[in-house]
Amino acid sequence: MNAAGTPLSQAPQNALAGAEAAWAQRLAARDAEALREVIALHGARLHRTAWRMTGDAQEAEDIVQEAMLRLWDQAPRIVQRHSTGSGAAAGLQLGGWLQRVVTNLAIDRLRRTRRMSDAEVPDREDDSPRADALVEAREEGSRARALIAALPERQRAAIVLTYYEELPNAEAAAALDMNLKAFESLLHRARASLRQAFAAQEGGK
Amino acid sequence: MSVNTQGHDGGPILPGTPLARALSAGAVPPLSNGFADRVVAAAEARPEPLPELRRRSGRWSNWRTGRRLAVGFAGVVALASAAAATGLLQQLAIPVPSAGTIWASISGPARAAPAPSPSAAAAASSVATDEAVAPQPVGIAGPIDTPEELGEAFRRVDALRDKRREVRRAIIDQRIADEIARRSAAGLSPPTPAELAAVRERIDAAQSRRQQSVDARLKERREDLQRRVEAGEAITRRDILRPQATRQDLPEGSEAFETLRKMTPRERREAWRALPPEQRAALAEEYRTRRAAARAPAPNPSAAPTPAE
Repeated sequence: MNAAGTPLSQAPQNALAGAEAAWAQRLAARDAEALREVIALHGARLHRTAWRMTGDAQEAEDIVQEAMLRLWDQAPRIVQRHSTGSGAAAGLQLGGWLQRVVTNLAIDRLRRTRRMSDAEVPDREDDSPRADALVEAREEGSRARALIAALPERQRAAIVLTYYEELPNAEAAAALDMNLKAFESLLHRARASLRQAFAAQEGGK
Repeated sequence: MSVNTQGHDGGPILPGTPLARALSAGAVPPLSNGFADRVVAAAEARPEPLPELRRRSGRWSNWRTGRRLAVGFAGVVALASAAAATGLLQQLAIPVPSAGTIWASISGPARAAPAPSPSAAAAASSVATDEAVAPQPVGIAGPIDTPEELGEAFRRVDALRDKRREVRRAIIDQRIADEIARRSAAGLSPPTPAELAAVRERIDAAQSRRQQSVDARLKERREDLQRRVEAGEAITRRDILRPQATRQDLPEGSEAFETLRKMTPRERREAWRALPPEQRAALAEEYRTRRAAARAPAPNPSAAPTPAE
């Protein structure tokens, strides 16, 4: 599903899998035009993920920019690990690599924001929906945003990656550096929390 | 709550449900204009990444270190073996003990002697020959009482004399080569072929004179021995060997020469320089007088000693 809510086709990405090794080589050779092409190909999707995670368009752009600069820096090492002509080069997925970086950067920023806030830090992570977020979501367009924002960071990432971006569970687990079973458990809890929050939202109307 | 006990709450969000409609509400803002330009500008202004640090710890680094040590040791052994096999070490005067020498140094009571240097080899061989000759020059057991036995004894003595002449010639050649090498090392010009030929000629002349003198003395002694054997006298080994000169037999004033003769060339040179000038002049004059007296039939104007002397 894309920004407009339509499903995201995976076919073009698969067709570009082999070509991404060539992009990585051009990036390693400091080809700015290659960076533009990567931004044109993956930028919108990464920005969408970051925006759904943070709810802030400017911060989402910062996250995507940071991910692209990390790709710029790490390109020589990526090329070294995926030598041309090998099976590793054919399996190189710059999109997946960028997705993982963006997800982790977004989680880090959410945690940093929570630490710097004046709110009292709970002893343990509270999985229940935040009522104040639900109360503040007045407009229709921001109701979905409030539902997502009420989730803890990793649950939020699980919903964004699987529901909005329609990634398979395995790819979403890889983006979060988790094994599949742990991710499925996390996704299950995220959906349950989301339903509880939605029920609370509906009940408060 | 377990995943399996949560029932439908944790299940997939199906399209068309109220929750799906709520989540799909709202639009994602697009990337701002010029975003790609800003990222590219930031990337191009970014400094080059630092090279990856090498990992120096860990068990693999230990294996790498051990492997390098083993490869280095094997390389040294291979180079040393190649150098020994091609004779390079001998050219550089580095002693290479043989397996037998090493085994003898380990097992035998006699310690293995180091390999002699080329310059000392000739001298050592001459000393060994002298030692072999002196105690039993001809190896004759029992008295000699027939002319045949006496002739055999003379033949063996002549064979040994020929061998000793060869050794002396090798020593002279080696000393000349050492002197030329020393002059080259000191930056001095080597002797010209003419100078070398003159030295050789002087040495040969001196040896020839000495040989004639010795031959004359030997002829007298051998004729005397033959007369004694023909007279029925039994000749012993002591009679054949030349009687050793004792200190009492030396002429007057020769003690100083004998002392100098026992010294090494360097010691002799230093002792000569340490003498007062008057004493040096007196000794030189005495030496010339003795040599003139010894060579009365053919006096030699050159008073300088030769290597053969």
